[in-house]
Amino acid sequence: MDKILIIDDDEELCELVSEYLGVEGFAVESVNDGEAGLKRALSGDYDMAILDVMLPKMNGFDVLRNLREESNLPVIMLTARGDDMERIVGLEIGADDYLPKPFNPRELTARLRAILRRAAPADENGDGSEKIDVDGIEISSASRIAKSDGVELNLTSVEFGLLHELLKEAGKIVKKEDLSESVLERKLSPYDRSLDMHISNLRKKLGARLDGSERIKTIRSVGYIYTVV
Amino acid sequence: MKLFVKIFLWFLAAIALMVGVTMFVTRTFQTEPLMGRFQRSTRNQMQIYGGTATQIVGAEGDAGLRIYLNRLRDVDPPREVALVGADGKVYLGGGGDIADISDLVSRTLVSGAAEADFSSDERSLGAAPVTFPDGRQFVLVLQWDRQAPQGLFWGSTLGYLRLAGMLLTGLVLCYLLALYLTSPIRKLRVAAQKLADGDLQTRVATSVGRRRDELADLARDFDVMAERIESLVTSQQRLNRDISHELRSPLARLNVALEIAKQKSGAETQPILDRIETESTRLNEMISRLLILAKLESGSEEIEPVRIDLADLVRDIASDADFEAKAKGKSVEVSSAADCTVIGSENLLRSAIENVLRNAVRYAAEDTKVDVSLTAGNGHAVLRVLDHGGGVPEEELANLFRPFYRIGEARERKTGGIGLGLAIAERAIHAHKGTITAKNNGDGLTVEITLRRAESPVVKPT
Repeated sequence: MDKILIIDDDEELCELVSEYLGVEGFAVESVNDGEAGLKRALSGDYDMAILDVMLPKMNGFDVLRNLREESNLPVIMLTARGDDMERIVGLEIGADDYLPKPFNPRELTARLRAILRRAAPADENGDGSEKIDVDGIEISSASRIAKSDGVELNLTSVEFGLLHELLKEAGKIVKKEDLSESVLERKLSPYDRSLDMHISNLRKKLGARLDGSERIKTIRSVGYIYTVV
Repeated sequence: MKLFVKIFLWFLAAIALMVGVTMFVTRTFQTEPLMGRFQRSTRNQMQIYGGTATQIVGAEGDAGLRIYLNRLRDVDPPREVALVGADGKVYLGGGGDIADISDLVSRTLVSGAAEADFSSDERSLGAAPVTFPDGRQFVLVLQWDRQAPQGLFWGSTLGYLRLAGMLLTGLVLCYLLALYLTSPIRKLRVAAQKLADGDLQTRVATSVGRRRDELADLARDFDVMAERIESLVTSQQRLNRDISHELRSPLARLNVALEIAKQKSGAETQPILDRIETESTRLNEMISRLLILAKLESGSEEIEPVRIDLADLVRDIASDADFEAKAKGKSVEVSSAADCTVIGSENLLRSAIENVLRNAVRYAAEDTKVDVSLTAGNGHAVLRVLDHGGGVPEEELANLFRPFYRIGEARERKTGGIGLGLAIAERAIHAHKGTITAKNNGDGLTVEITLRRAESPVVKPT
C-alpha cells in the first residue's frame, strides 16, 4: 500500500482527505506545520507527499526546497487558485505536479496514481532498460536519470517523462494531446497550460545549445519538437 | 478657452481700459482746457508785442524797432524773432533757424490779430500783426522751445515711452498673475486625473508649495479626500480578497466530504450529489476569479514585462476556444492576424483575451461563427472579437465590464456565466495601459481591445 504524507495546516481537511484516500487504497498520515512536515518527509517512510503552500513555521516552498536537497520524494503542491506565480515557483523548485486548492479529490487521486506509476521502477514491463542519447542529452528510463554532457540533470518525474517522449521522437513534432495523455495521464483540456509550464522548466534545466538555439521548440497550438542539429 | 489665457487677457484688457480712460480724462479735462488757456495767454502776449512794435516803429522808426526786437529775443531761454512782410520775405531778424512760417503769417494777415501755433513737439510759434507808419503790414513772429503742456501718452516720444512702459509692465505682471493662479489648478487637475486612473496614492499639497490661500486649502482638501478614497478602496479590496481566501478552506473540505459521500452512497443519491458538485465547482470558479480580480484591482499582480507575439497568442487562444465552441455547435475563426508585438504579462493578456473570447462563444447563437481579427495600427494593435449573439441593450454597454453585472438574469444563468470574465479582462487590459470597449454590431456584440505595440518585432527562436 502506498504511503502518502499530507502537509497542510487545515486539520479537518487532513482528516477528510485521509478518510477519502483510505477508501481509495492509500495509507495516509498528516502533519500540520512546515518544520514537522519536512522532518517526516525526509524520514523515507513515504512514497509521496501532498504539500500546501501556506503553512505555519515554514512555508511550502521552503519545505520543498529543503526536501529537494536530499530527497526525490514525489511531491504534489496545493497552490492558491488563480495564482500563477505559486504554480510556477512550485514547479521550478521541483514539485512533480500542482493542484489548485480547493481541489477535486478525484483529480487528486488520479494525479497521485499517475505520479506514483511514473516514479516506480520501469523494468517490470521489459522495455525499461531503454537508453536514449541525442546530442549530448542522455536518458535512461530504468534509472530515470537524465544527463547533459555527463552531468546529471535534476528533473522531476513529469519533466523526465516529457523529455523521454520528446527524445524518442527527436526531430518530429509531438502533439500536446499525446504528451498530456502519456505523461500527465489526463486528456488535454483547453486553456490548460501546465504542459507549457513543465516544458518551459525543462527548457531552463536543459539550457540552450552552444549556438544559443533552443533544444525544444514550441509549435503553437500543436505541440513541441526536440530539434536535431 | 484655457483659464490661464482668460485671466491673462482679462487683466490685460483691464489695464488697457485703464490707460484709455486715463488718457481720455486727462485730455478732456486737463490738457485741452490748459492748452486753451495757454494759447489764449500766448495770443494776448503776442497782441501786446505787436501793438508795442507798431507804436515803436511809429515813434522811433526802424532803429527803435530793431532794439525792441533784440529785447524780445534776448530773454532766457532766448527766442527767435523775425519781422516778415506780406510777401513772405523776412524784413528784420530771422537770423537763426526759423521754421516754415508762411502759413502762420498769412493766417495772421487775414485775421489781423495775434495767432499761435503749438502743433510741433519742439517749438511753439507766436505771430502778431505790426503796422508801419506808411501803412505797410508786417507780421512779428516769435519762436521758442516748446513749453506748452503735452498729452499724457499721445503726441510725444515721452508719451509713447510712458505708454509702452505701462503696457509692458502690465503684460509681465498679468502673465505672472495668471501663472500664479492657474498653476496650482493645473496641478490639481493632473492629480484628479491620476486619482481617477486608479493611482490612489496621488497627493497634491506638497507640489502646490507654501502658499496660504483658497487654492492651497483646496489642495489640502483634495488630499484629505484622496486619503479617504484610498483607505476605503483598499479596505474594500482587502475585504474581497480575505473573504475569497477564507471561503476556500471550507470549500476544500466540502469537496472532499462530498467525494466521501459519493463513495459511500447508493445509486439513487448520485444525481443529487453530482448537483452539489456542480454548484461547488461554480462557487470555486467564482472565488478564484474574485481573487484574480481583487489582485488586479489592488495592482499587486506584478507584471513581468516580456515581449509577446500577439498574433501567436491570439491564434493559440482562438484554437482552444474553437475546440470548446465546436462542442456547442459554434465556431471561432481568426479572420486576420497581423504581425504585432506587445510588451506585458503573457498570463494577464492571455486571461483577458480568453475571457473575452469565451464570453463571445457563450452568447453566440448556435451555428454561428465568432470572428477574431487582429490588426496593426500606427503604434497600436487592435483586437476585435465579433459575435452573433444578439448584442446587449445600448444603455447597458458601459456596464458590461462591471463585476457581477448581469444583463437579463435568466439568460446569464442558463449560459453558465458568473459575470466576472469581462471585469477581469478590463482590469488586465488597463494594467497594460490599453483600452477595451464593447459596441453592438447589428446582431451581436463587438469587443475591441487596443494595446500599445512594442517598437521592434519579436526575435523568434530559430
